[in-house]
Amino acid sequence: MNIKTLLKLELKNRMKGNSQSKYSWLKSIFTVVLVAVAVYGLYLVAEIFFEMFDKAGIAYEALVILYTVFFLFMCFIGTSSTIKVLYYKGDNEILMRYPVSGTEVFVSKTLFLIITQFAVTAVIITPFLFGYAKTMELGEEFYKMIPVSVLFMMFIPFLLSNILAIPIMHVTNRIRNKFGLIIVGLAILVTLMFAVYMLLFNKMVTFMNDSEFSVFSDGFVQIIKDVATYLIPTKYFADVLIGHELYIAYPVLIGITGISLVGTILVIAKLYPKTLLNNIEVEGSAFKHKTKNRRRPIFVALLHKEFLQVFRSVNYSFQYFVLACAMPVMVYFCNNITMQLGKDQIGEQIALGMTLLVMLIFATVITSFSATSVSREGDNFYHTKVAPVSITKQLFVKFFMYLLVSVIANGICVGVLIFTKQVMVGVGLWLFVIVEALSIGLTLTSMRFDIKRPYFNLSGEGEVVNNNASTTLSVALGFIVAIVEGVLCMFLSYLAHDGFIVPGTEYILTEKMMYLVCSGFAIIFLVCSIFNYCFKLRKTYDKIAK
Amino acid sequence: MLEISHLYKKYMNSERFSVEDLNLSLKPGEIFGFLGQNGAGKSTTIKCLTGIYPFNSGSITICGHDIQKDPINAKLNMGYVPDNHSVYEKLTGREYVNYTADLYKVSKRDRNERFEKYVNQFKLMKAVDNQIKSYSHGMKQKICIIAALIHNPKLWVLDEPMMGLDHQSMVEILKRMDDHCAEGNTVFFSSHNLDLVSKICDRVAIIKDGRLQTVIDLHVKGNKETLETTFCKITATEQDIINEASTLSRNIVLHD
Repeated sequence: MNIKTLLKLELKNRMKGNSQSKYSWLKSIFTVVLVAVAVYGLYLVAEIFFEMFDKAGIAYEALVILYTVFFLFMCFIGTSSTIKVLYYKGDNEILMRYPVSGTEVFVSKTLFLIITQFAVTAVIITPFLFGYAKTMELGEEFYKMIPVSVLFMMFIPFLLSNILAIPIMHVTNRIRNKFGLIIVGLAILVTLMFAVYMLLFNKMVTFMNDSEFSVFSDGFVQIIKDVATYLIPTKYFADVLIGHELYIAYPVLIGITGISLVGTILVIAKLYPKTLLNNIEVEGSAFKHKTKNRRRPIFVALLHKEFLQVFRSVNYSFQYFVLACAMPVMVYFCNNITMQLGKDQIGEQIALGMTLLVMLIFATVITSFSATSVSREGDNFYHTKVAPVSITKQLFVKFFMYLLVSVIANGICVGVLIFTKQVMVGVGLWLFVIVEALSIGLTLTSMRFDIKRPYFNLSGEGEVVNNNASTTLSVALGFIVAIVEGVLCMFLSYLAHDGFIVPGTEYILTEKMMYLVCSGFAIIFLVCSIFNYCFKLRKTYDKIAK
Repeated sequence: MLEISHLYKKYMNSERFSVEDLNLSLKPGEIFGFLGQNGAGKSTTIKCLTGIYPFNSGSITICGHDIQKDPINAKLNMGYVPDNHSVYEKLTGREYVNYTADLYKVSKRDRNERFEKYVNQFKLMKAVDNQIKSYSHGMKQKICIIAALIHNPKLWVLDEPMMGLDHQSMVEILKRMDDHCAEGNTVFFSSHNLDLVSKICDRVAIIKDGRLQTVIDLHVKGNKETLETTFCKITATEQDIINEASTLSRNIVLHD
């Protein structure tokens, strides 16, 4: 009985907010529709993916590689969820006060994890398998085996995650306060994942443009074939599906499931209660950092505090510093592909507009962090009112930090584009000025959104729980600005290239005019943002009551 | 030191004034207690005088500086300890105090001297370089107090400072309050602990429904002893009298 209640509590917690809202049913329908669209999207991508490999005669190998990537992904997701739900979740401390046994808490949480793992596995892998079946024109037998494959794919990573969770958690506990290391590691990981994703995407785009020829060289095809042979045990998942060497595939998969089940039972029986109790203590632990008393000018002191607040939070660092670090790589790849696409479909003249659009979209993602400037203060908001420093100065320091990060990120982006000869030096400098002007405008507008309506809803660690409405607004505005400026640049370049004559005059639209109009838009947006930010700033800030 | 004149404060969505026509005048070298039931307007008054809340009308001056017209100089003369002892938990104790000292432009010599003195007085030597998020309730309160005192403010404002503290910690804070006043500064604090207030304060003000009811000089003979009775007489509602009577009758039955 307790297990059922605890499981219900866990599920309710996951869907909190939905049940209380008047329009919760609408939200549920929206979620279902969104998932259905995503699944269909994955199915379409899967079709192109397998067609591309099938053209090179390596569709089976592609399935094996896909299973391998997915297996690793599910192990990662499973381990991360197990650590969060079983060991780190704040409710462990609360649940231990109730008259429920540790076994009941464990079983209910494990059931919750299995449900989640099953949902993720089914939603992600099924469309790919349907895509494979469609491409390879497979029959009923294949579809019948999909549930078997999904179950293996769910249980094996889940059981392995339970074994891996404790050692991985010990490692993360050791490095959790090494913020510099975490930021660098995450930046490298995000960049690598993005690079691999974009390379594959690039191949798919090339294939879509000309599906008559294989996009892979003979050498590459051979490498994929060789690699796929050694991808054990993941190749057996594919074998079960297509009925290949079943006398090996089934025993291997059943054997792995059995061994990992025994391993999980041993780990849980021996280590779970001990680790849980230990973790309740570790979660609240903090680091020691010996410093000397040092006098700093007010501006530097405020900046130093602001930096530490972001730097010493893995969540904030990821949202801000990591994305800023990864931005140049993202811009490089995206720009490369969009330019290629644009040139092929429309013409070379839209390349600059595409670059502008891509840079502004990434700049928007980074600047949206400033939409939590005030909210992030949380319970410490009173400090900003009590301190003998004007509000304008305190806000300026926050702005200065955003400006610093934005200038560095945009500067490196433009540097990369110039270095890789995607743009010329002069054009690169113009791009930098325009993107920076619009970034400043967006930062100020986002800050103003938050000043007008801050959300002091923070988690136990003192961090903003959910991205608030100001962040959503800020991202939406950023995308609108990016599209307007990007499309304006593309459109005017296109017209200038064709020697368009302005109606009613003899004036021929030139490239110079395009630069002037785009610069004009950026300047107008910047000026409006500054005016909007400064207008009754102190009065609005004074109104905030926490 | 602190002059509050005809202070009116009404919250945005409220129909009544939370503080109404409040007048107070605090002298240098005194400890001034601010008493009232929950919701009487104590914290609102304190938040107005520290600059956290704007107010509808009236004026507040600290050491001759108007909190609305000259907020920076007014705040430079004041140290504030909030009721929820919120601090930047990602910083260490030392980083937090240094940050505050920087904002109040405290010289390196003064901050070193005061830092050592207060950290020793409040027994935080071992924890001062740890991240504040590892601190206990009392330790957070103490680091808030050190940060509020690092610039040696002329006016020290504390909002219910003794809440949840053990006996030793309370004694340490009371000692610091006493020492601060002995140096010619003023302490203004709100509390629910009548016994403590009667022991340490020079004067107390009682507030009810946002209105100042009385200011009592505790140096006048008999006022200390009758503080509790006076407070109950002023603030008690009809329900409080019924509750108190029923509690007493139960005690009588128990003793019989």
